[in-house]
Amino acid sequence: MNLDQAIQAFFDEAFELLQQMEDILLDAESTQSDPELLNALFRTIHTIKGSAGLFALDGIVGFTHQVENALDRLRSGELTLNENLTSLLLRCHDHVKAMLQALVNQSDGPDEASQAALLAELAALTATAGGTPASEPEPATATADTAATMDWLLYLGFGPDVLRHGLDPASFLSYLATLGEVSHVIPLLPGLQAGTAYDPEQNYLQLALRFRGETTLATLHDVFEFAREDSHILIAPLAGAAATLARNEAGLGDTELAQVHAHWLTLGMQTPDEAVAASPDEPEQAADSGAQSAAPLAASVAAPPAGSSNPKKAKTAEKAGEGRFIRVEAEKLDALINLIGELVIAGAAGNLLARQHGAMALQEWSQGISTLIEQIRTGTLSMRMVQIGEIFNRFPRVVRDVTKELGKDVQLDIVGADTELDKSMIDKLGDPLMHLIRNAIDHGIETVAVRTERGKPARGTVRLNAYHESGSILIEVSDDGGGLHRDRILAKAIDRGLITADAALTEQEIFALIFEPGFSTAAQVTSISGRGVGMDVVRRSIEQLRGTIQIDSTPDVGTVFRIRLPLTLAIIDGFLVEIGKATYVIPLEAVIECIELPEALRDASHADHLNLRGELLPLLRLASFLEVPAAENARQNVVVVRTGDRKVGLVVDGLLGEFQTVIKPLGSMFSHIKVIGGSTILGNGQIALILDVNELVQHVTLRDSARFSLTHDFAMLGISSQPTK
Amino acid sequence: MAKTIMIVDDSSSLRTVVGLALKGAGYDVVEGCDGRDALAKLDGRKIHLVISDVNMPNMDGITFVKQMKNLPAYKFTPVIMLTTEASEAKKTEGRDAGVKAWVVKPFQPQQMLMAVQKLVLP
Repeated sequence: MNLDQAIQAFFDEAFELLQQMEDILLDAESTQSDPELLNALFRTIHTIKGSAGLFALDGIVGFTHQVENALDRLRSGELTLNENLTSLLLRCHDHVKAMLQALVNQSDGPDEASQAALLAELAALTATAGGTPASEPEPATATADTAATMDWLLYLGFGPDVLRHGLDPASFLSYLATLGEVSHVIPLLPGLQAGTAYDPEQNYLQLALRFRGETTLATLHDVFEFAREDSHILIAPLAGAAATLARNEAGLGDTELAQVHAHWLTLGMQTPDEAVAASPDEPEQAADSGAQSAAPLAASVAAPPAGSSNPKKAKTAEKAGEGRFIRVEAEKLDALINLIGELVIAGAAGNLLARQHGAMALQEWSQGISTLIEQIRTGTLSMRMVQIGEIFNRFPRVVRDVTKELGKDVQLDIVGADTELDKSMIDKLGDPLMHLIRNAIDHGIETVAVRTERGKPARGTVRLNAYHESGSILIEVSDDGGGLHRDRILAKAIDRGLITADAALTEQEIFALIFEPGFSTAAQVTSISGRGVGMDVVRRSIEQLRGTIQIDSTPDVGTVFRIRLPLTLAIIDGFLVEIGKATYVIPLEAVIECIELPEALRDASHADHLNLRGELLPLLRLASFLEVPAAENARQNVVVVRTGDRKVGLVVDGLLGEFQTVIKPLGSMFSHIKVIGGSTILGNGQIALILDVNELVQHVTLRDSARFSLTHDFAMLGISSQPTK
Repeated sequence: MAKTIMIVDDSSSLRTVVGLALKGAGYDVVEGCDGRDALAKLDGRKIHLVISDVNMPNMDGITFVKQMKNLPAYKFTPVIMLTTEASEAKKTEGRDAGVKAWVVKPFQPQQMLMAVQKLVLP
């Protein structure tokens, strides 16, 4: 690991810590502040500050220092965590995040004014207004002479406990020797005991010595900074030694002082008279050699990590928590999944060959391989899976902010945060979900006054729920607000010319109108929901993920937005069907059952519906729909598919069974053919087109609603003129 | 043989950077991510110096140092504690545990190296 990687690791770590900080702050609001939690809160900023200092990121150190002060007082009970403080700390969190983000992107940081404002608020809190600048620890002593080669006299009166404290007199001497030349040493053993009174763990050694080097008093004192607490350390320039002794700054006892005097005289101390004449040197500038030598290194660290190829580089540092995860570049995983896809196809080819060949052993072998491939596929795909909590977790903050802004009282319930979803989908779900949640708070949840009037709890609830259901993932965003206003939606839609005044629509279809571009029923567009992204964008993003969105709403009870997504985007379980001479794939997750097409319905060109155990099932004859010649004498079958709560029967010429398949996108030339979702390669090398069930169902719905509005069809079919629900 | 220094801190980037500076100066480095982890990693090996943060999850630095100093092999091992300006109470607690060397966070790697050299030369 080099410094570039280290700074990258710092950024990763800092963002994780900030996330923790946010979580705790949001959590602490509802729970009574627990000391362990406050300590953890302190630790987040404390660690960021500490590490930022290592990389000489002074801006971050300076700011986090003030935040840390506040957190420390919070931890010690001097401050209590109230709403205002939480709010301030959250804004500080945002600020630190923005500063870090700017460093990562090498762009300009957040503006100074906001920082000044935050600092002022913090200062007001902590009362240590304008507190000490945090960037540098104080130089060891204020009196620093200019560095010049000269002689010094030292008395190192090591205390009896230094050894127990891990301080070895010899190591100080060795270190001193790196700064110059130790010319004379007089060992003193004042308290040395004989026999059993001698304690081997105790230090009896003290030293008087003469030293020559180009250094300052501060630097020399610095050498012994750790020993000072336990020991009497006296340092003086040779010329001023007598004067120093006379001042007795270290507070030595008389006996000890007399001893030092005697030894220093031996080492060449001048008499007071001589000394006065020879000590004119006064401090000119504080030369902190430590800070100076650190500067070049600091500069090299602070330089932007230009060479760092990938910010997602795996952190190799060993750490108990980290050991459980390995970070891998997303491209590597994608390449692997693509290869697995090829393997799936190749495996299917092997299977087919084995079956054609007919040798039992060969078939068994190829079956075994297939099972393994299936396992590898599942395993690899699960690597792409991340918990949806990753995006859910940012919403408590959103809810909090929006709620505050609108003056409502709303809590967020999160259920199923551990539900796993393809990583690429997670990334694209954030914005649509954010929009739905904002909408739910803004338009869904009523104000406290209205809620009380309606006999609901004053605090509204927005609920995020994720779960698996038959090969899909369902994400629900629900609220217990006022529900959608059916009539208002209709009126608006007619007003906008989206539908005709006499259109007969189901409840579902009416609700779905709010997804039409430019539709907004809120009498007044607030700053929250009028942000340009409309519900149409939400639907489009979901559809891009091969998902659907659906609304259930009951007036005064609430609204549920239900998003249904496929588990993964790369590979699907398909159901192979034959239409004419070609093979098509229907995504298995949409298939409910297969039935034989009743004899009576085979030829009737108008019989587009089937009685499926008492339920009216619209049929779509794929051969004529796709304009391919139907197979002669085929025993036609109906594949019943479903999206949302709509079922359609697809009439096909033959059923070939389940088939695991990799989705290969079609070229842009075919992008306007909506009913074809992609293509795949079969085991025998043939190409099969993947049908988009969503589009097929939509087509059938449109066809039926068009037809039902024509009276002659009703008469012919003998169906009542009321549309089916 | 190079002297071994143990760095105990919950920030992996801090361990890394300090580790780099120390390795550059010729020390061997052992890392521990908190007090409990560090105790486990002592494992009887010769440690010439311990650098430990105070505030860590699982086991804080002071408890770690106290427990380490109870082990005969580490009774005389020097300890540098990392601290913030704002922790005078912790410092007193640390003194009782026998910690004499404090380095104030944030620090530059070079400052840490100097502090280390005062106690143990490579």
